[in-house]
Parts: sequence; C-alpha cells; structure tokens
Amino acid sequence: MKNTFTQSMAWLHTWAGLIFGWLLFAIFVTGTLAVFDKELDHWMQPEIPATEVSQADAAQRAVAYLQAHEPKASNWGISLPTERSPGLRVSTGERRHGGGVQLDPRTGEAIEVRDSVGGNFFFRFHFTLDLPRNWGIFVVGALALVMLAALVTGIVIHKKIFKEFFTFRPNKGQRSWLDFHNASAVLLLPFHLMITYTGLVIFMLIYIPAGVDALFEGDSRAYFQAQGNARQEQPRQLARQPGELVDVAPLLAQAEARLGPIGGLNIRNPNTAGARIEIRPELGNRIALAKGQAMVFDGISGQLLSDVPEWRAAPLTQRVMVGLHFAQFGGYPMRWLYFICGVVSCVMIASGLVLFCVKRGRKYASATAQPSARRWYRVAEVCNVGFVSGLLLACVALLWASRLLPVELVQRESWEVRAFFGTWLLALLHAGVRPARRAWVEQLLLVALLCISLAALGGMADAMRVGVVACAMVLGVLLGLVAWRVRQAASAPQKTRAGRSVEAGA
Amino acid sequence: MIQAPAWLQIFSRSTAALLGGYAFSYAASACLARLLPLSSADAVIVATLPAFIFYTGAILWAFASRDAVRAWAPLVLAAPLALIGFWPQALRWLA
Repeated sequence: MKNTFTQSMAWLHTWAGLIFGWLLFAIFVTGTLAVFDKELDHWMQPEIPATEVSQADAAQRAVAYLQAHEPKASNWGISLPTERSPGLRVSTGERRHGGGVQLDPRTGEAIEVRDSVGGNFFFRFHFTLDLPRNWGIFVVGALALVMLAALVTGIVIHKKIFKEFFTFRPNKGQRSWLDFHNASAVLLLPFHLMITYTGLVIFMLIYIPAGVDALFEGDSRAYFQAQGNARQEQPRQLARQPGELVDVAPLLAQAEARLGPIGGLNIRNPNTAGARIEIRPELGNRIALAKGQAMVFDGISGQLLSDVPEWRAAPLTQRVMVGLHFAQFGGYPMRWLYFICGVVSCVMIASGLVLFCVKRGRKYASATAQPSARRWYRVAEVCNVGFVSGLLLACVALLWASRLLPVELVQRESWEVRAFFGTWLLALLHAGVRPARRAWVEQLLLVALLCISLAALGGMADAMRVGVVACAMVLGVLLGLVAWRVRQAASAPQKTRAGRSVEAGA
Repeated sequence: MIQAPAWLQIFSRSTAALLGGYAFSYAASACLARLLPLSSADAVIVATLPAFIFYTGAILWAFASRDAVRAWAPLVLAAPLALIGFWPQALRWLA
C-alpha cells in the first residue's frame, strides 16, 4: 500500500479506525452499559419491589400461582429472585425472553409492571446493533474483526510501546491526544485484545462453520449431538397421566449445594406423571458460562435424573472464553473492573476519532484547502460529534424515556427504542448545523445534565436503584468537566486542550 | 507495471481483505479440523478458535503486500487448504 510495512499499517489503522470507529464506539459503550444490564432493568421498572424473600419461598409461591392460573400449560418457567434481579417472573410455553408475569415474591400475587426494554436493550444492541438478529451478529462480527486488525496495526506502528506507556504530555494539543490514545490503548491492551477476540468466539461457528461443514457435512444438529448437548427425551406416555408435583424447595436446596446460586427453574409437563423439573444455576457461578446447563429431577418422585455434565477440555476452553466476555463471574468487584476497563476502551476509541480531526484540522479546515477535502473533513467532524456525544445522549435519553413515557402506552417498548434512535438522529442533525466545537460542548453538556438529573425521576427505593443513579451522576459530572474543558479550549484557541483527555479517561 | 488509480487499489485490497481473508480462514479452519488428531467434536472447536487470528493476518497481508496482485495470495492459498479440509467430500465428488 505504502512504501514501508509500518506506513501501510498506519494507513490501515487510520482509515479503518475512522470509518469503523463510529460504530465500534457504539458497540463498546452499549457493551460497557450492558455490564450492569440487570441493574438498569431494575431501575427502569420501578414497580418491582426489592425484597429479601428466600428462593425456596418464592419458588413455592410461583408454583402456587401457576397451579391456580395455568394448570394445563406444557411448561412453566420461573425466574427466581437473585442478588442482581430481585423480581420473581413466571411464564408458560417456550418463550425464553420477555413475556410472562411478574409476581410479588412476598405474596405470590401478580403485580402490574410497566413494559420496558430495560438494560437488555443495551445488551441486544451491543451484539446486533438492533438489526434483525442474524444480520446484526454478522455486522458486529465484521466490526469486531476490524477492531482486532486495528489493535494489531496499532501495536505494529508503535515501536516504542513501552516508553509510550509512561509518556503523557498534557496541554500540548495534538500531541496530548496522541499520547492519550496511546496510553489508554497500551495500558489496557490485554483487555482490548481479550474482549474483542472472545466476542468473536461467542458466535464463531456461525461466522466460520468450516469445521462443521468439513467433519459433519454441515449438519449442525449432528455436531451438537456429538458435543453431548442432545435434548432430553420427553416421556410422552407418562405426560398424559395426571400426577402430583413434588415440593420444589428440597430440590432447590440440593441443586444449590451442587451448583451454587440458582437462577431459576423450568417445570415441563407439570401436573402429569411425566413432570420434569430443570433447575439452572446463575450464569456467573464459575468463569465458564453455564448457559443451557441444568440439573433435571423427576417431578413426581424428586429423583435426580441427570446432573450437569463435566465439559471436556475443548468445549471448556470455548466456554471460558465466552464467560470472560459475558463477565458474569466474580460478583460486583469483577463487574466494576469490567465496567471501568470498558470505559477506558470507549475513551480510547473516542480519542482516536478526535485525533483524526485534530491532526487534520489546520490543514483541511482552512480556506486554502480544496473544497472537496474540506467537505469530507466536515463529514468526519459531524460524524465524530454525532456518533460519540450523540450516542451518549441517545443512551441517557432511553433511561429518561423509560420513566417518562405513559405507563399504559401501547407498544411502550418500541417507543423507548424510538426515543433512543430519534435522539441519536437529532444529535447527528444538530452536529450538522452547528460549528463542531459548539456542537461538542452543547451535546456533552446536555448529556451531563440529563445524567445528573436522573435522580429527579425518583424511584430510588433500594440500594441497587440508588447505585444506578449515583453512577449516572458521577459519569454526568465527568462529562460536564469534559464539556467545560472543550469550552475553555474553544475560548482560548492558542491554549491547548489536552487536559480534557485526562478527565475523559475517568 | 501499470499504476491503477488509488481508489481502485484500495477497493481491490479491501475486497481481498474481506473475501480473500474469509476464504483463507474458512479453508484453514477446515484443514486444521481435518488434520487435528482429536475427536470430531473437539477438532471443530480447536480448529475454529484460531480462525480469527488467520483472518486478522490475512487482512494485514492484504494491505501490507507490495503490489495489489499479491494482496490476493490468501485467496489462492485457500484452495489447497480447502482441498485437504474437504478431502472425503472431494473424493466422493470425483467418484
């Protein structure tokens, strides 16, 4: 491409970084927020009480409710209250997400809860960009690959990687942005590489089904059977005879002793002789993601039918990598570590995007530059504002929408999503009509205000909800400081604008 | 040598990176899955885990190589790798 290897890599890093950086920033921000998805869920649905009911009691009340309202359903799903998700939800049928009825764990009565996409929206956006699922995971996968390439090219072009680790020259304009981009990248390089690579591993057989195509003739069911993930035989004959369900509490205790904290249970063919009780652990009991694992009990005798399988080395390796990405293990300290690392990743991407413009500003924004070059520079500038501060604005707008939209609104969830994308679009338009620096200041200031005033929406009944609001406040104050620094730098152009990069890192 | 316009060079190399890189990592995974002395179920996983490293390597190659033709080398390399990976299928197809 260019004369030397390093030059080629620098070219690739710059342009791939710019063009794909906008969406990568959105993926990293929503991924960082998704670390606290359940907490955001809880905040966005203020009707759910925070209670300290034991799981055994909650499960018995859920079974009683289902017994009274859905005695003939083919499947009962029960999500038990856990540390991060104090609600008790019951559902019937095979729907795994959404739907179902929220119960008060103290009484077992159904409670009216507003429809909300919750923190789950950030999680879904993080791996699909809210596109149809199969399209989305391919687009996000391609972006992750670009991220991986950008990280490796970034390493290649920084020969003095160790020295740059200790280099920060504040208040030196472009130099400071570069130092900051380098420092945030090098400081957490293992995290950046790990999170990007393990993200690709989650759907690796969807992206590259070569092994399944070659060894299993493309038959993914045969592959899953070879992995020992065959579905449990359902006892069809017995499922026609009536039967009386065993008490779930002792089974829960038995499963908890074996698996650690319990996430929920499924009762298949309830009230028949073929009843099966599947009890699943919380995802984060170990590093390897325990998705799809369950202990299966006979629903009449309470006998253990099948235990969770031990994984062989290869599937375990994949599970551990996926678990490292999902960040469900290690409790709250680990969650905070992932959150902070995620914030640093976001700031690294954002600083790289800003650096692109800062570096070229003097050359292309001046009147002597070619009109076409100036126009393209302006596009980059507008997209930077719209995709960085505009996305932050959209995220906080979603939180506001979840509280402000009327509770009885039809299809309330899709209105929340519309609020998210509508705000984002408005932010892009706003960036298009305002001078870049003014647009930065105005949008960042608005994000800061909306974050800080989240407390005004109330509903801080328990520690978890207070935590969400407090975290938003801290982020709001930091973004306010960034906005203030950009403003300062704008009023005194010869005074450089490095300091804000330090604060942006917090 | 003919000097192609810059946009065409970039387009060619980007396509080489995306499609050539995919073909290369797909074929390399298939080949590895076939050759690894593991049970099929394990071989699939062990062979697919490094696929993204192959892909990244191919992307860098597409932009680092000296001339725009050599940027397509991973695509060429994919053919023999795929032949090893899909050896039984190829034999059956020939028979």
